[in-house]
Amino acid sequence: MTLVHMQDVSFGYEDRPILQNVHIDVQPGEWLVVMGSNGASKTTTLRLMLGLLKPWHGQVSRQESISIGYVPQQVSAFNVGFPSTVYELVSSSCDTSPRFSKVPKQEKEAIVWRVLQEVGMQELAHQRIGNLSGGQKQRLCIARALALQPDLLVLDEPTTGMDTESRKGFYDLISHHVKQHGRSVVMVTHHWEEVRKYADRSITLERKENVGWRCFTTSSCKGHFGQGHALQS
Amino acid sequence: MFYYEFMQRAFWAGACIAILAPVLGVFLMLRRQAMLPDTLAHISLAGVALGIVIKITPEWTAMAVALIGAVMMEWLRRSYKSYSEISVAILMTGGLSVAVLLMSMQHSINKGFTAYLFGSIVAVTQEALYVMTGITVIGLFLIWWYRRPLYLMTFDEDCAQTSGVPVRGLSIAFNILAGMVVATMIPITGVLMVSALVILPAALATKLGRSFGQTILIAMTIGVFGVFSGLFSSYELNTPSGASIAFILLLTLICGLGLMRLLKYLKRRRNEFEQSFTIQPTVSVPQPISANEHLKES
Repeated sequence: MTLVHMQDVSFGYEDRPILQNVHIDVQPGEWLVVMGSNGASKTTTLRLMLGLLKPWHGQVSRQESISIGYVPQQVSAFNVGFPSTVYELVSSSCDTSPRFSKVPKQEKEAIVWRVLQEVGMQELAHQRIGNLSGGQKQRLCIARALALQPDLLVLDEPTTGMDTESRKGFYDLISHHVKQHGRSVVMVTHHWEEVRKYADRSITLERKENVGWRCFTTSSCKGHFGQGHALQS
Repeated sequence: MFYYEFMQRAFWAGACIAILAPVLGVFLMLRRQAMLPDTLAHISLAGVALGIVIKITPEWTAMAVALIGAVMMEWLRRSYKSYSEISVAILMTGGLSVAVLLMSMQHSINKGFTAYLFGSIVAVTQEALYVMTGITVIGLFLIWWYRRPLYLMTFDEDCAQTSGVPVRGLSIAFNILAGMVVATMIPITGVLMVSALVILPAALATKLGRSFGQTILIAMTIGVFGVFSGLFSSYELNTPSGASIAFILLLTLICGLGLMRLLKYLKRRRNEFEQSFTIQPTVSVPQPISANEHLKES
């Protein structure tokens, strides 16, 4: 029942390896935190997990017909003044997902409004997205991912631009989705102290200098599943 | 003006491209591919030259070459993801060099080339009109049918791919459609003015539109206005149609942006003016004793 299985994955850019023999399993209903210093290839690991990058070696497999909600670190469309409203963008998730092909229009609209309410953006539904602040844009991306009703949420530093209070609200919201809806979460963050009481497991990408090239290993904290990360290097 | 059959054809063809080209332009601009129409037009020039040299209808060879260019453009864009402008430089110079080499092989075709470079309202043949109508109908239908995946792909390719949108296939299909539209536009706008009709309406519409749907409708309206006014002035002033359309669209863009700035300025001034009258007094003024209290005291 593993949602995503990464086995012996190695990857690099051009001829320079940056990830070596990475093993990660994502189980249903678990909240996995990915940590590491700047440049530790956290985003690359997520992109490999999502199938946006092809590994040099190893295997990445995802459960069939899995629905994934992805919140990237940066969305370039925000910089070019994308002419769209908040509602349009969030509803685009439901409109493109095969999962919603047979769902009635009213039901889809209800999902969109509920998700907007969850992230506190109901009143901004008809605002142009270019007029939003950084934190609001981040919440919008989260709403778009949640509207998919995903089995797996992949969040790349989703709390960037949020203040402490907003971050707390965000962790509560994600925790609700994990506990009530059984969604799995893979989240990159630098706020381990804040998120540790919610998360089930963590993976830390570490630089290993003594092997002659940049090599990252993984290690974990004690979690519910007690496995899943170990790296052989 | 409409007494002449060539003018009827020009307006019909103009209406087709004026509706479809700005819609493509909105997507291209937001995907940071604003130079794609210009590149494909330059590539299709090689197709025009090839058609004349091998004695096949130049419109068909131009379209074939534009389609190959559209696929190559997508391939190069992915190969040079961080420097996608490189694909423009490679294909534009490639297309032009082939066109010039072919032209040098047959000196008699140089004169006919002017019409392809700058556009001519008499250049629209009945056959080209049928092709344009067909491509417009198919193009609009495809964009309407795939509007949501296209919207999401335009917003963010990674998000679209993880949401299940076949980004690679859709992107190639979109480029092919752009190639077909560009190739059919050349007789009216000319190679050098193609991007005017694709990008200028989109540039203004993205500023004016509040939603994506509204932006598309505004771009279409600007496109139709620009093409019809351009064709009209081209007929009346005997100027090249492509340049006339491009000039009117450019004027529309400048006026539109200027008007937006003016409205913003006036709004800001009005707000400042209103705020200056709504400042609350900070010193409390003693209230007069009411009639009852006055009686009580006495």
